[in-house]
Amino acid sequence: MALEAAARPRAPATLLRRILHGNGIWPAVPALLYLFVFLALPMLTLLAFGFVTIDRGRVVGDTWTLDHLKAALSDELVWRLMWRSFWVAAVSSLLTLILAYPVAYLFAETKGIWRTLILVAVISPLLTSALVRAYAWLVILGGRRGILNQTLLSLGIVDQPLRILNTDWAVLIGMTQIHLPFMILPLLAVLAERDRRLEEASLNLGASQTGTFFRVVVPMSVPAIFAGLALVFAISYTNFIVPQLLGGGSYSTLAVQVYEQTIVVLDWTRGAVLATILLTTCFAFVMGIVAFGNRLARWNEATT
Amino acid sequence: MTHIALDAIVKNFGAVRVLDGCSVAVDKGTVMTLLGPSGCGKTTLLRTLAGFVEPDAGRVRVGDRDITDLPPNRRQVGYVFQSYALFPHLDVAANVAYGLRVRRVGRAETQERVRKALDLVSLSAFADRYPARLSGGQQQRVAIARAMVLEPEVLLLDEPFNALDAKLRLSMQIELRKLIERVGITSIFVTHDQQEAMTLSDRVAVMRAGRIEQVGTPIEIYDRPRTAYVAAFIGRANVLAVDVAAGRVVADPAIAAARPDGPAWLVARPENLTLEPGGEGAGWRGTVAFSTPQGATIEYEVATGAPEPLRVVTLRKVGEPPLPVGTPVRVRAVDPAACVVLEDGPDGA
Repeated sequence: MALEAAARPRAPATLLRRILHGNGIWPAVPALLYLFVFLALPMLTLLAFGFVTIDRGRVVGDTWTLDHLKAALSDELVWRLMWRSFWVAAVSSLLTLILAYPVAYLFAETKGIWRTLILVAVISPLLTSALVRAYAWLVILGGRRGILNQTLLSLGIVDQPLRILNTDWAVLIGMTQIHLPFMILPLLAVLAERDRRLEEASLNLGASQTGTFFRVVVPMSVPAIFAGLALVFAISYTNFIVPQLLGGGSYSTLAVQVYEQTIVVLDWTRGAVLATILLTTCFAFVMGIVAFGNRLARWNEATT
Repeated sequence: MTHIALDAIVKNFGAVRVLDGCSVAVDKGTVMTLLGPSGCGKTTLLRTLAGFVEPDAGRVRVGDRDITDLPPNRRQVGYVFQSYALFPHLDVAANVAYGLRVRRVGRAETQERVRKALDLVSLSAFADRYPARLSGGQQQRVAIARAMVLEPEVLLLDEPFNALDAKLRLSMQIELRKLIERVGITSIFVTHDQQEAMTLSDRVAVMRAGRIEQVGTPIEIYDRPRTAYVAAFIGRANVLAVDVAAGRVVADPAIAAARPDGPAWLVARPENLTLEPGGEGAGWRGTVAFSTPQGATIEYEVATGAPEPLRVVTLRKVGEPPLPVGTPVRVRAVDPAACVVLEDGPDGA
């Protein structure tokens, strides 16, 4: 069949008809065009800035150069910042997973109004901007007069106010909370739609409820777990608002550096180089997460 | 010796009474079928036995143990689900090994038992495949191996042939019957297919609206249905409104009936009726309304003035055409003793 189709010469009329009928990739063309003009082109321009020398907003010289990239890669600070970006994103992704799973599981176990309430509760934080939520954490975690420390002090649990703000802890707490919905939503869908007979089968074969959860429910949700991990990792790794606000002035990550070099220092070349590094490493990590997830869920290929 | 005893099981789902005092006893090493239309409660009864449904009243006993209050994972009950419920994330061998793994059986022993179980269902060559890559028949055999490898006391099967096409169904039914006989395990099937019930079971329990209507061997149930419902559900039956007087059904010729005088219902299988052309003589009078030659037999529908036409199956002689529609005929019972006289008619009338 495929051979026949390939051998047949394709008349232009047929191509036109295919476009009009909306076969193949044609329905996606408007979206692809939009993304090309408003995402790919600006991004390529930005990245290109890293390979030329810019002085006072003008490109100096007429050759491409790798010097700026080499300089950045031999800079120990860049590697330190990348490591911090990585581990903060990795730990907060795992924290979101641990916190999101019970919520998604509860959603799957409830019915009617409770389901709606949980869904609304999960989605409603997305209605405010991440900036607002980061400021809210500032109020909660901040200094002696922050809500957290006041509560702990007045209850007598601590006698010195905890120093959370302007530490890794504040960044982790803020990021985990702000990115929680992106982990819950993929899990919700999969856990609510799962086949309960598999759990009955597991019980019937002698597994306990807990055993069934870890041997059947969790493995079956591996594709959703890794979709959520990849998503949350990517947005945590590239987030610069939370580290800047909750980490304090001297706290920096790769993403914060991109922002500062471009907007504050106005060193566009260095900003662009760091952005290139941020983007490529982020892409590599996400690919790694997805590849690992696919390996764990090899059975999933058989079902599709 | 009774091995499985379900005793007066009652179950309500909300306001609906799904099981209304069901009692079934299954002898050791025999196969019982729960037969009934969809919604009659047969699957709920099976799920009660496996522990997935908690009965509102009644007791469940296997052997000399009362297991009514045991959770499903502490019952030694093998269960084959309607669509098999194989774990898609585990290959065939791991699916079969599942129950052994959760029991922390040793590695070598697990491998050996899995191998034997897969041999039993002739699936050794498929051990490392994922369920999605198996045909329906193979999936069913994996489900059976997965249950059998734990050497359960009883095997429960919920419409195991539903997902198979008609041709495969019959051969799998015979295969499964042979397997059960070889292992000698007490089994309960659920089905709505009377032919399947006949093929597989030692005894059949016909269910209707949450109650057991009749229990007996397939032949008993076919020959001596206790109600018109059972008669109509197992095979085909003509159910006629008749009168009984002096121990006989008022008909020409009369049929003996050990019933009190009054209105009654006569159940006659189509193959126990015969017809002769001509309007004179003994028998029910009518005209041929429809005929279907089936090769070896001819099936007639005879209009007699009753709401339902009489169905008659006669042996066909080679070269003999069926009687044309409109022919006046007389219908008689071949063996009057094989007819059944009941007090209750269809739908409890």
